[in-house]
Amino acid sequence: MTDPTSITVIPAAPLHALEIWANPQAVATRVQKALGFALPVMGRSAANGAITLMRFEPNVWLAEGDVSVLADTLGDDGALTGIGGGVVRFRIAGPGWRELLLEGGVFDTSAAALPAGATAATVIDHVGVRLHVESDDACVVYVPSSYAQSLHHFWDAALPLLGA
Amino acid sequence: MSGPARAPSGEETIPFTFDGTTYHARPGDTLAAALLANGVGLVARSFKYHRPRGIMSAGIEEPNALVTVGKGGRTEPNTRATDVFVYPGMVAMSQNRWPSLSFDIASIFGLAAPALGAGFYYKTFFGPAKHWMLYEGFIRRAAGLGNAPTEPDPDNFSQRAGFCDVLVVGSGPAGLKAALEAAEAGKRVMLVEQDAVPGGSLLRDPDPAIDPAAMVERIKALGGEVLLRTTASGYWDHNFLTLTQRLVEPGAVPPHGFAQRLWHVRAGRVVLATGLIERPVPFANNDHPGVMLSQAVRSYVRRWGVLPGKRVVVATNNDDAYLTAQALVEAGAEVVALLDARASGPAAPAGVSVHYDARPSSVTGRKHALRNVTAVIGGSEQSFEADLIAVSGGFVPVSHLHMQAGGKLVWNEEAQAFIPGETPQMCETIGSALSPPPAPAVAPAGKAKKSFVDFQNDVSLADIDLAWQEGYRSVEHLKRYTTLGMATDQGKTSNMVALSRLAEKQGVTVPQAGLTTFRPPFTPVTMGLLAGAGARNAGAHVRRIPLHVLHKAHDPIWQPLGYWFRPRAYPVDGESLAQAALREARTVRTVAGLSDVSTLGKFEVSGPDAAALLELVCATTVGKLAVGRGRYTFMLREDGFVSDDGTVWRLAENRYLLTSSTGGADRMAHHISYVRNSLRPDLKCSVVNVQEHYAGIALAGPRARSILSALIGAEPPRHMGYVPGVLAGVPVHVLAASYSGERAFEIHVEASHAAAVWKAIEAATRAEGGAPYGLEAMELLRIEKGHVVVGGEVDGRSTPQDLGLGGMLNKAGGFIGAAGLTRPALALPDRNNLVGLVSLDGPIPEGGMLIQRAGQSPQGHVTAAARRILEGGAIALALLEGGHKRHGEEMIVSSPTRGEKARVRVTSPHFYDPAGERYRD
Repeated sequence: MTDPTSITVIPAAPLHALEIWANPQAVATRVQKALGFALPVMGRSAANGAITLMRFEPNVWLAEGDVSVLADTLGDDGALTGIGGGVVRFRIAGPGWRELLLEGGVFDTSAAALPAGATAATVIDHVGVRLHVESDDACVVYVPSSYAQSLHHFWDAALPLLGA
Repeated sequence: MSGPARAPSGEETIPFTFDGTTYHARPGDTLAAALLANGVGLVARSFKYHRPRGIMSAGIEEPNALVTVGKGGRTEPNTRATDVFVYPGMVAMSQNRWPSLSFDIASIFGLAAPALGAGFYYKTFFGPAKHWMLYEGFIRRAAGLGNAPTEPDPDNFSQRAGFCDVLVVGSGPAGLKAALEAAEAGKRVMLVEQDAVPGGSLLRDPDPAIDPAAMVERIKALGGEVLLRTTASGYWDHNFLTLTQRLVEPGAVPPHGFAQRLWHVRAGRVVLATGLIERPVPFANNDHPGVMLSQAVRSYVRRWGVLPGKRVVVATNNDDAYLTAQALVEAGAEVVALLDARASGPAAPAGVSVHYDARPSSVTGRKHALRNVTAVIGGSEQSFEADLIAVSGGFVPVSHLHMQAGGKLVWNEEAQAFIPGETPQMCETIGSALSPPPAPAVAPAGKAKKSFVDFQNDVSLADIDLAWQEGYRSVEHLKRYTTLGMATDQGKTSNMVALSRLAEKQGVTVPQAGLTTFRPPFTPVTMGLLAGAGARNAGAHVRRIPLHVLHKAHDPIWQPLGYWFRPRAYPVDGESLAQAALREARTVRTVAGLSDVSTLGKFEVSGPDAAALLELVCATTVGKLAVGRGRYTFMLREDGFVSDDGTVWRLAENRYLLTSSTGGADRMAHHISYVRNSLRPDLKCSVVNVQEHYAGIALAGPRARSILSALIGAEPPRHMGYVPGVLAGVPVHVLAASYSGERAFEIHVEASHAAAVWKAIEAATRAEGGAPYGLEAMELLRIEKGHVVVGGEVDGRSTPQDLGLGGMLNKAGGFIGAAGLTRPALALPDRNNLVGLVSLDGPIPEGGMLIQRAGQSPQGHVTAAARRILEGGAIALALLEGGHKRHGEEMIVSSPTRGEKARVRVTSPHFYDPAGERYRD
């Protein structure tokens, strides 16, 4: 049987680092009012149709999508910085994605540790990556562009190992 | 007929070869079992004396039966025949013999054994150093067992993370029970077993009440993970363990391309059910084929249906060996004598004559088996015609992982064994390792010189005695003097026998004699497994610059730079590297060139306190920069030495771009993060690493301004100015900065849109007679201009003053390193200062030492050498003691390693346009 786990490069999307340095409660209130959802807690994500926020650091979120509304909520309490030019997004989908991400990894990808909606910043085969679990069947991996081709090759080579 | 054998059953369907002869194995046979089944008892030669060796054990503790398995790059030397399962087409070879296993010329060393005892090397190979040249060749040829393959290993090695609540090591009865209980309690369980099938001792001594396969299925059904052919090889801090998993047998072709996997497991709790290893018994010629451990004999009989001998002597100091006698009788062998060193024992199988107070003293043998066993029984010698002796000198708990975990051992006098005690980690030992059978100490009989203790290193009782006589009291010294407990088996069968002998010599108890250190790995680990994916083409990844494909179209010479690969030069018409670089540099000096500088470190700093953060990180003033302006800057470590340099640009009121060197980019990212998050978390600012977000293109040369002006449809900024712009329809940052000494610009663009910008600049530059230039030309340009490079002139020992940058320091202080700079030693006049060198004769050897005359100690060194780009002549940058005040001196650059030297004159490091007039329009 052919392994159904797949690795796909997703078309580029606007990506920004959102850092909040002051008045976090006030910013959170403004963000919730503007976006319709609360700023996600550490290791989690939240989204509406236009934007997804993923929290990887205490004061830093990854914003994927249209940040125009978000930018208006920050004032002098935070900033958005574009980083999308340096990131390649991979979607790893299928029943073996959790096992595949254990290859060269240091992170527990089990459903209990990394459920749908969860985010994590970790290292795979020496490369710093960010994970966002879209669903039980798929995870998006944000990889520095310079490493993308090598890591894609690394995963391709490891696919036949799934279940071995 | 005598010797090992197995009655054919029709299941012998797996062909394999040993030393070129084809045999057949049954499914599930280890190589050792298959060889014994085919009547092969002689399988190896010993390390030092080339004595004939057979199969002693049935497990990973095997010290004798080391073979080479596989072909070509898959060749795996020193593989234990007891730890490799036969597969179709397996090729196995004996080692350490010439011309053949049966007739090994080097066995002549055995005749010289009296002269080759412990410490032979130390006593022989001394004298003048030049004699070592003679010794070395001889020793290197004689040393080692199997030969490493000369071809690259074609297989991959996986490294994988693992997580569990409970990790159980060993699938014997205790391990199976513990794993199943944990799984049934809802725990996330991993059970690892180094054998190919679960069961451990149950494979040798089946218990009808325990079904290992069914228990494993139950564990799996409850979500547990069961890893067979997997050895827990290392136990580290915080319940982190490394497991080595064989995905295929040694030498086999893996269907998925991966031979082995290294697991990195983090476990909540570790249960060690690692069992026991049987102790051999020392007596004369106890290393001959046909001398086997008692439990191993039982394993071959019951698990593999092999009868290692037909007339067997069993020698023991414990009850367990009686089970072996029983198994042999049941299998049709004749147990001619059971030698029990004790005064009494349990009931023996019918027909077996038991001798008490009986110890083997020597054996004689044939090629594949024994001929005769001599024993001391009640003080008298008696001989038995036998082809096999099954020995048991007691048991050693497998406590290696427990000890690696930082555990303690407790002496069990009854069993003459150390058993696991307390441990500082969440770890416990269960099963037989905690309760070895009673086995009293027994004084060896037979000649000490031929009574082997460490079979792998040919260490005998006499060697231990000799070490003692020569003053080696510590067990650690004993180990190093005799090589006891070294090599692939790490003393698994020898250490306790040797310790007992040492304790006897010292007149102390075994615990008082001490123990050597238990270190990972538990069993040998293939080097490729440690390298992991890095052994192939991942792991040590190639970092591709955003314009990699465009550069590749020009077929450049690539330059590895850390993980990055950057164009070093773009040769045309068969140019050499030097020719191409010089042409490219001249093009920059006379027309214009463009170069990829995407790998520069880049950080976007924003917020009301952005300037405050930068004034902490940078040693130059930043706060007074106007919007649209930038400046050269450098950063210090806290000790005051320069760590990196770059530029800082004020893009908007509260937004800055800081660039730093390529080589220091990761270090700078860590440093800035530390400053932001640890030193000044109160600052209202954001620091984002945008190294990969922006590609960078340098455009330099006298026509750079006009080229860029046409491309962006506006006047480019003056030197050290910044403007945003649009180039080829893409938004860009235009920074007027120069590393070449010419009017120059850096165009930074979102990396995903960089190709269009590069193509437009390249086309416009070529239209003007310009061309791309690589790192080699960049090096020529910057040396001539006198710009420093991190890793060259900035070598971690240079202060700003050393590099001539002291005048740029922020006089208000407050930056990191300001305090360190005040140390008096950093202001001494004889510190190494940056200078230039002009050759008075030939090329200047890079890296050469600066001296005033032959025989003098070096006063500095050349950091980078080049030639003048347009004028010709050799120049260099150097760090010279008190160099700032030595301009005009003549010196010699000497490179003894290259056999080169050149006379030079010390000058200013700025060879080209020292006034900086070419920056200005």
